[in-house]
Amino acid sequence: MITIENLSISYGKKERVIDALELTISKGTINGIVGLNGAGKTTLLNAMYGLKSIETGGINWNGEKITKKAVSYLVTEPYFYSNITGNEYLSLFKNNNFDVKKWNELFHLPLDKIVDEYSTGMKKKLAILSVIKQDKPILILDEPFNGLDIETCRIIRSIVLKLKEKNKTIIITSHIIETLTNLCDYIHYLEGGKIKYSKEKNEFKDFERELFENLENKSIKLITELLS
Amino acid sequence: MIVNLINIRFKQFYREIHRIGFFRIIVLLGISFMLFVFLYLQTSKFPNAMYASMIVLLLILMLHTKREDKFFLRINCNHFKWIYFVEYLLISLVLLVFLLIHNFWNIALLNIAALVIITQLDFKRNRTSYNTRIQKWIPDECFEWKSGVRNLFPIIVIIWLIGISFSFFVGSVPIALFILGIISLSFLEKGEPYQMIIAFEKEPNKFLYLKIKQQIALLSVISAPMILSFLIFHYHLWYVPFIIFIIFCILQVYAILVKYSFYEPESKSAAAQIFIGIGLVCFMMPIFAPLIILLSLRFYVKAKHKLSYYLNDYY
Repeated sequence: MITIENLSISYGKKERVIDALELTISKGTINGIVGLNGAGKTTLLNAMYGLKSIETGGINWNGEKITKKAVSYLVTEPYFYSNITGNEYLSLFKNNNFDVKKWNELFHLPLDKIVDEYSTGMKKKLAILSVIKQDKPILILDEPFNGLDIETCRIIRSIVLKLKEKNKTIIITSHIIETLTNLCDYIHYLEGGKIKYSKEKNEFKDFERELFENLENKSIKLITELLS
Repeated sequence: MIVNLINIRFKQFYREIHRIGFFRIIVLLGISFMLFVFLYLQTSKFPNAMYASMIVLLLILMLHTKREDKFFLRINCNHFKWIYFVEYLLISLVLLVFLLIHNFWNIALLNIAALVIITQLDFKRNRTSYNTRIQKWIPDECFEWKSGVRNLFPIIVIIWLIGISFSFFVGSVPIALFILGIISLSFLEKGEPYQMIIAFEKEPNKFLYLKIKQQIALLSVISAPMILSFLIFHYHLWYVPFIIFIIFCILQVYAILVKYSFYEPESKSAAAQIFIGIGLVCFMMPIFAPLIILLSLRFYVKAKHKLSYYLNDYY
């Protein structure tokens, strides 16, 4: 179980992005984190991976401080060292049980070519393979569906569901709410540096409708005013 | 537009200087002063003034081939070649002033003409997937070498072969060792994504030790045949290639420590490049050699601190 207690993170002295956040994530579940741009989703994920200094509070995994040993992290825009091949990149992550060739049957990546020749979607697929290869109990996937075609999105969806069956804890952010509501067991809505609502996916659909109707109404008012 | 972009360049330069820190700025200023005195003295006599110009032009040509903002400038500025020219003129300003002081106006004019020619050159890098057998011999963890050898494979092979084939000339092997040493230092100029550091799952000390060990091992592998061929023809000068090799081993250690002291994921640190350049210059002027040892100690502490941000969970 991941427990986040009283977590606060600031950029500089004034700008508090995460403010006394409390969240509990059960082992072996798929969790979606949603929020508007700048809500602090990536900051929260970075903190879970130990890449952001925490001001107060803490993040625990099974009662102990969470470490990188337990987490593999897919960043929104994966970057690769230039002039190395996909195979060479994957070989950096040690896991003898991971059959690269077999896994690549899903993604059809030209793993003998240098990564610089890959398209954005191919780079994302390579990063996803590296995250799966690490075989850690927690997977953090920041916008995993960005830049991918429909077929690959479905493949990733299936992989995530299978990983859940293997008792992995998965945390996903996405701007496509439908994807999350279809895939996740729980959805956490982040606003003003706090988790405003944590709901099971079925409950979230009503909340989502209400929330986005409000936001849309606000925008429509402003657009009408601006274009009048 | 040109003035605005040059202004941005000055701001970028100021930011980098700011990042370097006060103490190191003082060291940098001292070394720069010595370099300028050296350049001033060299530009006072004829052939040396010519050689100094050629070295500066070569450095600018290398900069021009490697700069990554060409596409940005091309799509945002109609007169992008003017921007190149103004920038290169500013870089070679000190040299041009020294040449004019010593009445070598003809060399200065040739220099400016060469700058114009350089701005017209448009090298398109052909990114291909070289997968030679050599690539497979390089351990996967040495991704800097895999990448660097793949990028400069033909140049490295040509220099290596020339070094060995002409080893009966006394200067052939030392020059080849020197050039390959510099090339191998350039492999370290770019910071890898932090995932690639974390993938090692080692604490900072062990990580640095492994990097240094691999770097020196690979440098030894490419240097050994050249050193052996030198010894066959010039055994009485056995110490020459060994001194060059040891200097570059020290520089490799220094460069790794500098790289991780200024490490920023997925980017090149201008400060790191400046300090690696200083390291190279220091070994050309032996009076400064001890400075590299002192700087290495300082950078070791700094690199450990920087890496602990990513590898703190592996102690």
